[in-house]
Order: sequence, then C-alpha cells, then structure tokens
Amino acid sequence: MTQLVQALVLGLLIGGVYALMASGLTLIFGVMNIINVAHGALLILVAFVTWKIWSVTGIDPILLSVVMTPLMFGLGWLLYKGVLSRISGSSPGMSVLLTFGIAITIEGVLNVTAGNRFRSATPSYFSESYRVLGISLPKAQVFGCLAAVVVLGLLYVVLSKTWTGRAIRATAQNSSGAALVGIQAAGVAALAFAIGTATTGVGGSILSVLYPFFPASHYDWISRLLGIIVLGGMGSLAGALVGALVLGLAETLTATYGSLQWSTLIFYAVIMLVLLFRPQGLFGSRLRQDVMA
Amino acid sequence: MTFLESLRTRTEGRRGTLAVIAIFAALFLYPVILPFAVYEQGVLLLAFLMALMAVSWNIISGFAGYVSLGHSVFLGLGAYTGGLLAETYQVNPLWFMPLGGVVAFVAAALVGMVVLRARGHAFVIITIALLLSMQVLVTNFPSITNGSNGVNVPLPFWSSDYQNMPFYYLFLVLLLATVAFAAWIRRTKFGTGLLAIREDEDKAAAIGVNTTRYKVLAYAASAVPIGIAGVVYAYFLSFLNPIGAFALLTSVTIVLSALAGGRGTLWGPVLGGFVVSIVSEAANVYGGGSQSRLLVLGLALVLVVLFLPQGILPVISARIARRRAAQQKVEYTDQAGVATARTPIVVTPRSAPTAERAAAPLLEIRGAAKSFGGLRAVDGVDLNVEAGSITALIGPNGSGKTTLFNLVTGAMPLGSGEIWFDGTRIDKLPPWERAHLGLGRTFQITRLFKSMTVLENVVAPLPTASWALMAKDAVSGHEAERARELLDFVGLGRFGSQQAGALSYGQQKLVELAQVLMLEPKMILLDEPAGGINPTLVNRMVEIIRDLNRQGIAFLVVEHNIPLVLDLCDPVAVLSRGKVIAQGPPSIVRADPLVLEAYLGPEWLPAEPLPGAVLNQAALSVKGS
Repeated sequence: MTQLVQALVLGLLIGGVYALMASGLTLIFGVMNIINVAHGALLILVAFVTWKIWSVTGIDPILLSVVMTPLMFGLGWLLYKGVLSRISGSSPGMSVLLTFGIAITIEGVLNVTAGNRFRSATPSYFSESYRVLGISLPKAQVFGCLAAVVVLGLLYVVLSKTWTGRAIRATAQNSSGAALVGIQAAGVAALAFAIGTATTGVGGSILSVLYPFFPASHYDWISRLLGIIVLGGMGSLAGALVGALVLGLAETLTATYGSLQWSTLIFYAVIMLVLLFRPQGLFGSRLRQDVMA
Repeated sequence: MTFLESLRTRTEGRRGTLAVIAIFAALFLYPVILPFAVYEQGVLLLAFLMALMAVSWNIISGFAGYVSLGHSVFLGLGAYTGGLLAETYQVNPLWFMPLGGVVAFVAAALVGMVVLRARGHAFVIITIALLLSMQVLVTNFPSITNGSNGVNVPLPFWSSDYQNMPFYYLFLVLLLATVAFAAWIRRTKFGTGLLAIREDEDKAAAIGVNTTRYKVLAYAASAVPIGIAGVVYAYFLSFLNPIGAFALLTSVTIVLSALAGGRGTLWGPVLGGFVVSIVSEAANVYGGGSQSRLLVLGLALVLVVLFLPQGILPVISARIARRRAAQQKVEYTDQAGVATARTPIVVTPRSAPTAERAAAPLLEIRGAAKSFGGLRAVDGVDLNVEAGSITALIGPNGSGKTTLFNLVTGAMPLGSGEIWFDGTRIDKLPPWERAHLGLGRTFQITRLFKSMTVLENVVAPLPTASWALMAKDAVSGHEAERARELLDFVGLGRFGSQQAGALSYGQQKLVELAQVLMLEPKMILLDEPAGGINPTLVNRMVEIIRDLNRQGIAFLVVEHNIPLVLDLCDPVAVLSRGKVIAQGPPSIVRADPLVLEAYLGPEWLPAEPLPGAVLNQAALSVKGS
C-alpha cells in the first residue's frame, strides 16, 4: 500500500514537470501548426548550460532557471525570426524537417563542445528527501515540481488575462480571423514560439537535476513530450497537463511494478493506442475545415 | 519536385538517359578496372545503400508527401532478421533477403494501418517513435536478440582476396532494382493516386482514390527494398547492435539525401544519396572525425530546407526547361479558342436502375444532421433526388448547402440521420466507396491537381476499388482515349498537355466536370457550377449539364444564380438554417413566402405572396459569397 501511494505521489511530481515541458511544445503547435521536434534538444541544451554554470559557480541549478528563461525566450525569438519564419506557409512536412534539422544541429553542437557522456547536476539536496506519513518525497523532485507549477500558473495568467495571451489564443483558434481583427499573425507566432521556447529554460534546469543526460537524450525527451501532447490533444494546454499527469503516473507505476527499462516504452505504446482509438486526443476537438480554405 | 518536372527528368531526352547509362556502366566496370581500390569501393557501396534508401523513402514521402523521419527502422529490421537467423542456423544470411523484405513490409503495413487512417502530423510522430521503440525492444529482449551485446553474423563465404567486391555489386544491383521499382510505381495508377494524395487528399478521396489503402501500401512498399538491403547490410557489417542497427543518424541521412537530390523525382534521391554519402565521408576524413558529422548533417538539413527545398535535380531541370522554352513559341490560349470545338459524347451510367429500384429516389437523405460545436449547420434535412432529375438546392449563405454536400459525399461524417444512394445506405462508407457507387462531385472552389497536366487530372479518378486497376499504367489505352473524348466533350481537347494550374478558373471548372465523368457517375453534385465564370462559359456549362442529363445522369446543383436555377432545375429545394423549408417545381418555390423570408428577411415580406419575378431580381441583389 505504501509502495502504491509512494509511486502515485512520485508520478504526480514527475507529471508536473512533464506538464511544464510539454506546455511549450503544445503552445507552439497550437499557434503555428508546427511540431517542434527541436523542443527536446532545447531542453538538453538548457540542461547542459545549467550544469556547466552550476559546476563552475555552485549556484543552485533550479534557481538558475531565472536566468535561463529569458535567455531561451531570446533564443526562441531569434530562431523564429531567423529560421522558422522563412518557411511559413510551406507544407507541414517541411517544417518538421526543419525543426528536425535544428534538433540534430543542437545535438551536434553539444557533442562537439560538451562531449558525448552522461552528466547530472548534483546540488546538496540531491539525495535528500522529506518524509511525510511514511512517504519519501525527494527534495529535488519537490522543488522541480514546485517550479513547474509556478511557471505553469504564470503561463496560464499570461494566456488568459493579458491582451497578448488572448491574441495568441485567438491565432491558435483561427489565424485568418485573428488577422481580420487586427492581430499581426507573424508577430504572434514569433511571440508564441519565444514563450514556448522559454519554458525549456525552466524545464531544462529542472531536468539537469532530476535526470542524467547526454546529447542524444533529446530523442527520449521529445518522444515523451509528443506522447503527452498526443494523449492530451495536440495544441491543448489543459490536455498537456492531464496527459503529463497520466503519463507521469503510468511511468512510475511501470517502473515500480514492472521494470525501469520498460517504462520508456509506455510513451510509445500510448502514442499508438491514442492514435488508434481517439486520434484527436483527450481534449482535442474537430471543427469544420472548409471555412479555412 | 512537381509532376511535370519528374516527368521531364524521366524523359529528359536521350542526353539524360545516356548520362545515366554511362554513369552506371562506369560504376559496374570500376572494380574490374581498379580491383585494389578497396577504400573507394567501400565508400561507393555505402553510397549505393544510401541512394537505395533515399529512393525508397521517396515513395511515401516524395510521391505521397507523408514525411517519415524514422525510415532506417526497416534497415534495422532487415538486418536483425537476416543476422539472427543466419547466426542461429549458421547459414549464409543472403538466403533471408526475401524474408527481410517481408518483415519490413508487414511492420510498415501494421503501423501504417494504425496511423495512416488519419491525416497530418500523427505519421511523422509515429515514424520516430517506431525507430526509437525498436531500439528499446531489441535491447530489452536479450533472449531473442542478445540485447545490447549484439549479434555476430557469419563471415562472408568468399575468399578475402575479393574483399568487399561482392557487396559492391549486390548493393549496386539492389539500387538499380529499387529505382526500377519506384519508376514502375510512379507510372501506374497507384503512383498517380499517391501524387493526388500529396496535392489534395480530400479531392483524391472524392474521385475514388482509397486514400488509406494507398498510403499504407506506399509506406509498406517504401519499406521493402530497405528491408531486403538490411539483410545484406548485416552480412557486410558482420556484427549488429541495437543502437547501430536502428540509428537515427541513418534516418537523418536518408531524409537529407532525398531532399537535397529532389523529393518526388525519380533520380533526385539517387543523386542526393551519392552526394550526401560522399560529402559526409569527406567531412569525416578531412573535417575532424565523426564527432562533427552530426553537426554537419544537421546544419545541411536546415540549409537544404531553407534554401534548396526543391532539391538539386529539379532546379537543374527547371533551368534547362526554361532555356528550351525560351526557344519555343508558346501556344496562345484564350477563352475564344476554347469556345470552339465541342464534340458530343455518349455517357452511359454504369448500370441502368433495376426495375424495383426505378420507383425509389436515387438519393435519399433522411433526417440528416450535423453540428459544429453549438452550431447546427444541418438540422434534420429530408431530401430526395429522383433518378434523371436536375434538382437544385438553393438557400442563403450559411444555410448548410455545402455542409450537406460534404455529408453526402463523405468528406465529413454524418452527425445523425441516414443517407441512401441507389438502394445502398452510404452514410457510413468512406468517400471513395461512395464514388465507386457512382456518386461524383465538383467543388465550389475548383480543386484540380495543379501540378499535373489536364489529361492526367482527367485520368486520375478510379471508378472501382479493384487492385488490378491500381497496377495499370496511369495514362494508357482505353482510359486515356476516354479522357480525351471527355475533354473534347467539354471543349478543352486542345489543353490536354497543359498544366492544370495554368488554365483559367472557368476552364478548370469544366475540367473538374470531365474528371467526375471518368467515374461513370449515376449522379453528380455540382457546387456552384456557374460561380465566378463568364456568361459564355455559363451557357456552355448549362448545355453540358442538359446534355448529360438527357443521357440519364442525375444532378444535385447548389447555385446562387437564381434565374439559371429556375431555368435549369426541376425540382428546387430551399435550405434555410439547416432545414429544407420548401420543395417543388420552380414556379411554386419562387412564390413561397417562407423562401422570400429566408432570402430577404421578414420585413420584406409582402402581405400577400407576389406571383412572378420577385425572387429573381431580389435574390440576385442579396447574393454574394
């Protein structure tokens, strides 16, 4: 029983972090209809930089997200303006190839500069835990999840309470309609891509503490995140949250009662099953298409 | 990248063919002339393999336009199939080449059947997931695969004096076979269907292309050559491990090769495969080893997508074509030229209605409803179309006419209600099966495959679901002849070899009608046949509709040009807010107060229904779409 509760609690803590990482991916997809395959590579990039700064200065890795987030916002903006905006309007296949190319490039840069081996940031609390009612809560997991919840809350406020957020949501729902009421679609897309990328600033910092990583780890991460947003419904933020919690739980339960090596397969299995039975995901909707054309 | 260009590269003339023959002759002779160039042979044989995989990838991702990012999974599947069996039974792995192809085919078909029913992004995601999950699976089943310790494949049986020469020839022959396979697919109706899917998937389904079957088959076909080559690859490597056999890097290189050479063309991926593998080898030797290879490949992919999205070959052939075109006179194509020769045609709908069917309506819509969120776009429509009639469906904008069309043709799933066509309930059938039953449609905004020629557009429809039909040459024999007749019938016989996108809007509407006639339809749904075209062509359109109707084809017409509707159609049904509010002969319907209210609003309603031409003028002035 304790083991089950332990697994559930850990699953939710991990799910919170997943939700944060997936939120950026689903936001970008919702607004631009682009699957940003480079999202995982950006996470690993942040994790590397965080790890480097931590190992040189000793500043807390999760705290470093305060620095990394604006940096990644800037990088996202530059990536959009310099690269992605050049192919806006061409086929979805090309945009996937482009972000795939970016992902490989980032992996290559990390390979050359940081070397191809596992790293992990290990601050003082790394192996400590809180104990509550016989359940152990690893401090790193708790801090990571708290940071994720704070950022998700901020993201929610930005998207629902500010004009910018409404512009982003309007563009996500109907970009030509949004353009008609005076929203500059290109500007909104750049902003959404920058915000989506900024979430990797926090996500990657947390990752550097919670998981060992090396340059090619980004494939694992993008698969996890894609599994989450496919389950939740691509483009839906609420869906990403629910999908992340479900898959976080599924992963810990598999690791607890099955074995660790099978837990990664859960994500692929979920992707296949969801596409088989409910292609639009839990929160996705299908609307009429002919008006768009 | 476009069809025309790929056709051009195929028939570039004698010079192109001679160049290809010369290059491959040289490649065949190379080991004979320089038997000790072992290193060069090794580089070349891997270039053959890469070209082979790029050509295969091109079948699903170039022809059909569905990008696969994990195509090297089939190399791994083939390699493991051959390697494991050869190790277990200690036999020559090459015996398992056919089996490697079968395993790849089955895996691709199974995965394809799950994801390719849907449209869009799911496929890309699955292709990566498939590759990565195979890595995990092969690692996690050590009892079968020996896990991460890998598999030792038996060593080549030939004397080491021959080095890799046999592999060189094996991969070269496999490459040529793969190119021939892709060329054959491209030439068949199957190939045309794949291009149609790439250009406009809904439209392809509407003209009878079973898009799901086509996509699954294309994915499976693109896996087979790689699966076969994988067995040879295992023999060549003589050692397999999960990470190496299911390498993402290989997938990246495949994509980059096909893209750089020319996606959708026949020889582009071959060229790309050669260029990319040789450049990557050079970067490896002169540019700082394998650490930087990933960086170089990633950057190359980004740069190719941004600056050379069409690929090398199409850019070159477009340049040659432009130079040639400058020397030739361009045929003058004006509307007047079109309005001349139009020849009569016999269109026998595939089967005359049987005796007991003759009494019942051809199309029967019962209580059809469809909601989008809270909006009930179609709200319980009952409508019959009698065999041999020209039935009109009019109504204000937003009354649900096009949605009703989409429900009847299957472009959208029906919310509730039933639709019967010629004695068969069709509301659960996919669009192509409805087309096979003899239900054709045209679109409000024409949707021709713009990069194909007019003639290819007209031969693209598939009147039956037959497998044999898919393997037939796309433009050949009886059908090509029929397509020319149909083009003559709509008066566009001269334009057969023009690109469809080059025609005027009105001409495209006529081509779309000819296209639908290839289905040998019993009934055609016309969505605004007269919308946006000039009066001469409107008259021609009316003439053609009458002509076809006399020969037994029924029509359901959506049209805003009310005088035309009242003149051409009988009966007329009026749709307003998702419901049929009036139905009957034109003279009755145009005096119906409900109809007037629907078009003009209640304040315009006279106390007594006015006879005569009220609706004629008024409706015209309030229309506009």
